[in-house]
Amino acid sequence: MNGLGFRQIWLIASNTFLEAVRQKFFNSLLFIAIALIASSTFFQQFDFGTGELKFIADFGFGALFFFGSILAITVTTQLFFNEIENRTALTMLAKPVHKFSFLLGKLLGVQLLMLAFVLLLCLLLAGILYWRESELLSRMDPELFSDGRLLRYSDILLFGFLQWLKFGLLSAITLFVASFSNTNIYTIIVSFSILVVCQLQYIARDAYADMEQGVGRFFVQGIGLIFPNFQLFNVGDQLLFAQNEALPATNLLQITLYACVYIAAFATLAQLSFRRREI
Amino acid sequence: MTLVFLLVVGALTRPIETPAWERVKSRQPELNLAGLEGAMGQGVLVGMLGGFRAVIADFLWIQTNSVWERRERAKLDSMVRLVTSIDPRPVFFWINSARMLAYDVPNWRIREEGGYFAVPEKRQKAIDSEQAEQAFALIDKALEFHPDNPKLYLEIGQIYLNRLKDPANAAPWFLRASEQPGAPYFAARIYAELLRRQGKNSEAYNFLKGLFQRLPDDDPYAQKGIILERIRELEVTLQVPADERFAPYRNNLLNLAI
Repeated sequence: MNGLGFRQIWLIASNTFLEAVRQKFFNSLLFIAIALIASSTFFQQFDFGTGELKFIADFGFGALFFFGSILAITVTTQLFFNEIENRTALTMLAKPVHKFSFLLGKLLGVQLLMLAFVLLLCLLLAGILYWRESELLSRMDPELFSDGRLLRYSDILLFGFLQWLKFGLLSAITLFVASFSNTNIYTIIVSFSILVVCQLQYIARDAYADMEQGVGRFFVQGIGLIFPNFQLFNVGDQLLFAQNEALPATNLLQITLYACVYIAAFATLAQLSFRRREI
Repeated sequence: MTLVFLLVVGALTRPIETPAWERVKSRQPELNLAGLEGAMGQGVLVGMLGGFRAVIADFLWIQTNSVWERRERAKLDSMVRLVTSIDPRPVFFWINSARMLAYDVPNWRIREEGGYFAVPEKRQKAIDSEQAEQAFALIDKALEFHPDNPKLYLEIGQIYLNRLKDPANAAPWFLRASEQPGAPYFAARIYAELLRRQGKNSEAYNFLKGLFQRLPDDDPYAQKGIILERIRELEVTLQVPADERFAPYRNNLLNLAI
């Protein structure tokens, strides 16, 4: 990629980011997510049997994933179709801007937005957990905790990073769907369906792992290869608490590489499809 | 063409994915797939996608309690399975579900059939056994997720003891509970008491002697005084000669004398 191409991508990305930040949808979703995480201590009253910190962490991670997924799909779709419907894409592509640069710029812009979203929620969650943890520790014997804390706060950022990668992958998938679809709603529905398949494909893989060779097994294996395994990023259950073993760096690297390969693959597919598209 | 491309990407990424997935999967609380039949239509799917499992399970547990209050037997059964499938981590769900199935549902069934005076005792026992079996099956499932939790072993023992009035089958479960890490001290005491109730006095005597020596001296919850009392009672029952009686502090006294 030459310097000009990168500059073009960066310009499209920064404009996409600014446009997305100004959207009411982003702001309202961000507000709901923040309100939900902030109220997790209230919802804790309905909890049965899990520890307070565990509940708040689960709740925060859940909100991050849930609202992040909605945001990644919807914002990518909206920003892509806004350019098409307002004919701004036509103006842009009439200049010496490659269609691939346009797609990459959009993807990068959405990723910047998701980074802001993830960082905000992670910091809020860390703040709430720190407050509740300090409250709990003040009622306990400090000598019971050798390092002074119950939680590993860096794991919140680690989880946030993995979710951010997943959102990147989800945006790339959405962009691929948008590249051949004609309407917003079709793109959103198909992308959500793909999200569900990616999130649950491991269940089918596990269920059919012991199956004898046959059409069913062949089909499930195919599904497992075609759709990325989103459950791989779902490490919230095993992070955060000091007594849990930290995620090894090798596994973190593998997951990152896995996400990057799939993002590149779906971006390539989006380009192949978008190249043939009449705007 | 797209599918072939994705198949190739999938095959190429498999060596990266497999080791990471094995590690991630081994530390995830598993879903009870059999229990999830029919759950998808209840709006659970969206929640299951993320970390909202705990929250959704909590709210469904509140709903389970409403079903329990209305005594809707069939629905209770499916709700219990649903909650424990979505979030198998809290032992609270398993234990309370087992209690509902083993203690409450038999009462409802007996009342539905005419009440305690009308239903023959044999039939009542059959209902109790059927429901207890359901509770045991549930706790067996719970043990797959919490194999070291003494509360689950205790629950099986208590159902045998309190509902089925079967101390012989209850005893081994109290023993197993007492062997788990963090087990309450009373589990072992109840085991010994159940042996005594079955007439296995020598077995109870030997067990209590061993237990007394294993328990700490500085923990009041260990209730070593009560255990020694039981040992003395058994010595009287078993007519143990005075010089063969249990003397845990003999060495201490000898040391003092020297």
